[in-house]
Amino acid sequence: MLQRVKREGGSVAALGPADEADLIERCRAEDRSAHDEFYHRFRRQVAGNLYRVLGDRTDLDDLVQEVFVIAFRGLVRFRGDARLSTWIYRICVNVALGRIRTRKRRPNAVGVADLDSASADPSLVERPETPDRSLERRRDQESVYRALESLAPKKRMVLYLHEIEGLDLKEIAYLVDSNPVTVRTRLFYARREFYKVISGEDPPAVVKTAEDDS
Amino acid sequence: MSSHVAPHRWADAYARRLADSERATMDRHAEQCRACARARERITRASDSFVAIRNQSSPELSWDSVRARVHWSVSTERRAKVRLPQRRPLLGWVAFGVVATAGVIATLVVDRPAEPVARAPLTAPSPEPGGAFVSPAPASPVGLAGLVNRTTGDVMIDGTRPTDLFARRLVAGTVIATGDGRVDIQFGDASAFGLGPRSRLELRRFDAQAIELVVEGTVDVQVAPRVAGQRFVVQAGKRTIEVRGTQFRVRHDAVSTAVACRHGLVAVRDSYGQLEVGAARHVELAAARPVSTERTLPLSLEAATELADATPMTLPVWELGTLASSAPLEIATSGRRDVRLDGVELGAAPMRVRVMPGRHTVEAADGQGRYRRAGWIDVAAPNTNAKPARLEVLPEPPATRGTDERRRQLRAGIDKGRIGLCMRKISKQGLAGTYVQIEISVDAQGAVGFLNIIDTDLGKATAGCVDEVVRDVRFKPGATATWNERIDL
Repeated sequence: MLQRVKREGGSVAALGPADEADLIERCRAEDRSAHDEFYHRFRRQVAGNLYRVLGDRTDLDDLVQEVFVIAFRGLVRFRGDARLSTWIYRICVNVALGRIRTRKRRPNAVGVADLDSASADPSLVERPETPDRSLERRRDQESVYRALESLAPKKRMVLYLHEIEGLDLKEIAYLVDSNPVTVRTRLFYARREFYKVISGEDPPAVVKTAEDDS
Repeated sequence: MSSHVAPHRWADAYARRLADSERATMDRHAEQCRACARARERITRASDSFVAIRNQSSPELSWDSVRARVHWSVSTERRAKVRLPQRRPLLGWVAFGVVATAGVIATLVVDRPAEPVARAPLTAPSPEPGGAFVSPAPASPVGLAGLVNRTTGDVMIDGTRPTDLFARRLVAGTVIATGDGRVDIQFGDASAFGLGPRSRLELRRFDAQAIELVVEGTVDVQVAPRVAGQRFVVQAGKRTIEVRGTQFRVRHDAVSTAVACRHGLVAVRDSYGQLEVGAARHVELAAARPVSTERTLPLSLEAATELADATPMTLPVWELGTLASSAPLEIATSGRRDVRLDGVELGAAPMRVRVMPGRHTVEAADGQGRYRRAGWIDVAAPNTNAKPARLEVLPEPPATRGTDERRRQLRAGIDKGRIGLCMRKISKQGLAGTYVQIEISVDAQGAVGFLNIIDTDLGKATAGCVDEVVRDVRFKPGATATWNERIDL
């Protein structure tokens, strides 16, 4: 079950089932080197998942930390009914959901979708490939994340996993800890809302400042 | 098709979830309906960007720092779990209650002279010969070990210049001396000291019960709050400086002793009395004068800043097992330049600093104090045969000669009228004093190599408009120049 959840496999080769079981056992035994290995294997996957789901890298360090702390804490209860990477993805989804909910209550001062954004520290950002192409790409991605922001957190997550990550209902149901029928209903409404916003029929509810005249 | 196409149907069409005939009908409708054609275009572009989003790789984070924080959280929880008293299960309490009640009833029912109920002792009885309390023999305190976290310049340990400075564990009895440089040594969670230039420090006592440092020169100390029974003492000549949890500096030479406290409280003692130095205060004590006659003074802003800058470097996680895999990284610069490692300011390089294995990003400050990426380096776990990791920060390129000329051309070439049009909307809103800071490169033919907006307080549209105006400036052939320009609007 759920073999194909993530492609990004950390900084080292993917684990076989036997290695995975061994790693889990060593982690459960509080072996520090196993914790290190676990972290090294999954850190990029975790950061990438969170980054893509949320569309910005604000507090990404903290969220990655939260995912690993939850994972290390919860490994004793991991039953092995999914691959380890899938289980971690599930934690990422839950942490991201928590983050989205918090952000809904306290919207970011900066806005959404800083994927490849030049708003980051300019000394850390590479020069854009070609200004027009880069701008266009960024605007498209921003509009996607802006539309996602207009959805309720659960709908947003389901829509993201289905439309962007391309997962099926059963996989999504596992990740969001729900059943496929609920996921299907959520997705049904989420798609309508999302594409309505994207098409421009329904402008997203964003906070506009006097200065934000774009 | 009489009615408009629902937006999500365009997404279905894009994903090829619809029959060809249905798609054809929708397309025919879009040819006649501008609104639907626009919706189709927008949804197609959004759907195209899904792939780009899906392929976004993980951004580079300060992985070591995150790992250290994860370990810290996990190990703190583990330690807390170990410290928690073992709770008796509820059943045990119930059984205990039943037995106790039965005992009391039995005592009351049976007609016997009242005797104390025999109870099992909760703790093992301590031997009390002759009724006197004898304290157990004190166990020898656990020795501490310090690790060098950062060095600049010359450092001597026990009179030699060790090549394995970062691998050494500094224990009681070690004598550390510096030349023109400085060394930061950590000895516990959030506890470290930094020995300043031309100073000497002896770890006279260095165990879990007491730390006693004997200093000649300057030492900056940051100490996490001590637990009861733990002492931290700095001996400066005949004076003793004792703390509980604070950051402070002691400078001692033959003439005087100066103590400055950044936060917390420091007690300075001699054979005549004691003087307390509170947060953001300092005192300078002449060699022959008793401390009780002196008064503390508030720190000046410069002194407080200097004290803050001299905070010894501490690693976020303190566990010798984990730190065994750490290794030194040498950051080499041609002159003294402030550097940042993984986003953390380290102070002036050249220096050597302790890092965990992995990839690290180094930035160096330019002439204007802005940090620029100097490069990244992969640091491997320590290996006796391997050379220590070294990253050389290239010197700042000399200012291009034609910058002034190009700057003048840019300022003269900006179309003020168009800038005014760009700013019209926000001027109406009453916003003034805005700016755009650009980075621009012009080659010998006068062509603009690149032009980036690096900072602005304008919105995207206005900044974009200003950017277009600047792009239209034409330069004459001349010198090559790259510079930053702030355009006040």
